[in-house]
Amino acid sequence: MSRVRPGRWVVAIPMSLLALATIYPLLFTVNVAMKTRRDYILDRFSLTDALRWENLGTAWNSVGMGRYFANSLFVVTSSVVLLLLLGSMAGFALSQLRFRGSSALFLGCLAGLFVPFQVIMVPLARLMADTALIDTYPGLVLVYVAQFLPFTVFLMTSYYRGIPPEIVDAARIDGNSVYGVYRRIMLPLGTPALLSVGILNALFCWNDVLMSLVMMPSADHRTLMVGVTSLRGQYSDDIPTFASGVLIAAIPVLVVYLFLQRQIADGVAAGSTKG
Amino acid sequence: MPIGNAQPSVRPVQAGRGGGAAAGSSAHRGGARSRRAGGGSRAERLAPYVLVAPAALIIVVLRLYPLLLGVNFSFTGDGEQNGVAVGFDNYRELFEDSLFRTALGNVGLLVLLLPVAVAIPGLLATFIYLRVPGHRFYRSVYFFPAVLSPVIVGAIFNLLLAYDGPLNAVLGSVGVAPVDWLGDPDLAMFMVVGVHIWATFGMALVVFLAGFATLDSSLLDAARVDGASLPQVLWHVIIPSLARTIQFVFVTTMIGMLTSMFGLLFVMTSGGPEGSTYLPEYYIWIQQGQMNRPALASAASTILFVIMLVVGMLQIKLLERAGRDN
Repeated sequence: MSRVRPGRWVVAIPMSLLALATIYPLLFTVNVAMKTRRDYILDRFSLTDALRWENLGTAWNSVGMGRYFANSLFVVTSSVVLLLLLGSMAGFALSQLRFRGSSALFLGCLAGLFVPFQVIMVPLARLMADTALIDTYPGLVLVYVAQFLPFTVFLMTSYYRGIPPEIVDAARIDGNSVYGVYRRIMLPLGTPALLSVGILNALFCWNDVLMSLVMMPSADHRTLMVGVTSLRGQYSDDIPTFASGVLIAAIPVLVVYLFLQRQIADGVAAGSTKG
Repeated sequence: MPIGNAQPSVRPVQAGRGGGAAAGSSAHRGGARSRRAGGGSRAERLAPYVLVAPAALIIVVLRLYPLLLGVNFSFTGDGEQNGVAVGFDNYRELFEDSLFRTALGNVGLLVLLLPVAVAIPGLLATFIYLRVPGHRFYRSVYFFPAVLSPVIVGAIFNLLLAYDGPLNAVLGSVGVAPVDWLGDPDLAMFMVVGVHIWATFGMALVVFLAGFATLDSSLLDAARVDGASLPQVLWHVIIPSLARTIQFVFVTTMIGMLTSMFGLLFVMTSGGPEGSTYLPEYYIWIQQGQMNRPALASAASTILFVIMLVVGMLQIKLLERAGRDN
């Protein structure tokens, strides 16, 4: 059929509009962050006449965002390192080694997937308080690790299942201990999966607000996302600075997305197809 | 779609493996491993446990044990009655509390809106899979909001939906009176759910695309040769073949609605106006953190857990039945 099928446009127009609706809110925020207050009040939509990076500076300096940023960075990095280490150790053992109780342990780890934080918020906060871990960085790291470990173990186990057992056997015959096999063979072989699941975990931890709100009551322990929630009260009459603060919190994620979109999507896809 | 490419597409035939095939879905393969008998020293025999122990301990102590604690806790009192068994008093109080009833009503609303939240990414994934012009661009644009924190998304939409904000400015320019999007009890919840769907449909889209990757394309070609229209292809080929993916997206979308809207609620409406945007998770947080009623919060948590289990089971049952009818 050589004639143009109208179906093309019927699909293309809504899809383009939706793409615009997806991206516009962010572009709007960037634009507002560059404007002066007067400009914004006069006209919400006009393109900014200059790139005013000083708004970002104002937001950064006045709300203690630098401090929150550092808190988030430290907690997220520690959590991800621990998640990858513990997740790959368990994943290797559960997929490649035979030992009594391995199925039960695997199911136990999976069961954690079905327990959302909201359901255990109260007892977990109490446990943390009883062990003097509440309002400490290690405490929040532990909460994040517990939250995302079931998913990490699940993904690493299913990834390592795809590695032929002969590789492990050969390494053992060469005189490696089980730990040697893990360190010399499994960790390097797991790199693609570790990268995907690591980025995904970093995003989850970075974006979290509820866990850090519950576990970090004191102001100077706040993570960046909790900091963002307090911007509104501070800048209710200074929208450009408010938008700048929001933008600062979004920038790291934007950068990660631009460069590692593929790995993020692969991680999400792997989590769904292996189930 | 496996991550990376560690899997050789052809497995060498392995000697000494009983039956050769992997033993179902158990955590290790069937057949005898060529471990030398005795497996070496005691340390070596213990190695697997040492590797699994840290992860297993953390999950048991910080996820499964608190679940039991919480259920147990929900049958005790608050304040003066701390630790005293009070039977179902907390549950009675919950169902007398209009805020909690609103929260449950909103869960009902979410269930009603669920098909929309699944159909949108499903349709879009279909078009992207069928290679509409610009499909790569659409894919990466649609997926983008899914990586933003709900807090950031909420803050951006607070700007857009403000009473003196841009959306009302646009409406004003065409002569429509301004609408109080987040201040009207009848509208606010719809706005928050709408924003949640806007922010998360990209995740479901990626899951659908992963499902499409497993689709047998010869079926589609056959349907095309037979002159089937797009709706027919959708109904007779795509939906039946993707039944498992659709089921997975239904369940994860519902769980997402029940457990990842806190950030939006917190930033956009704080449960208001007039408590109209309460969801169980927000109620739990308020009772625990602001009202100092941990036992009451635990009862609400237990109900949320039961809701999740029921929703999960129901959907699986319904979809299995639908799958059989096809």
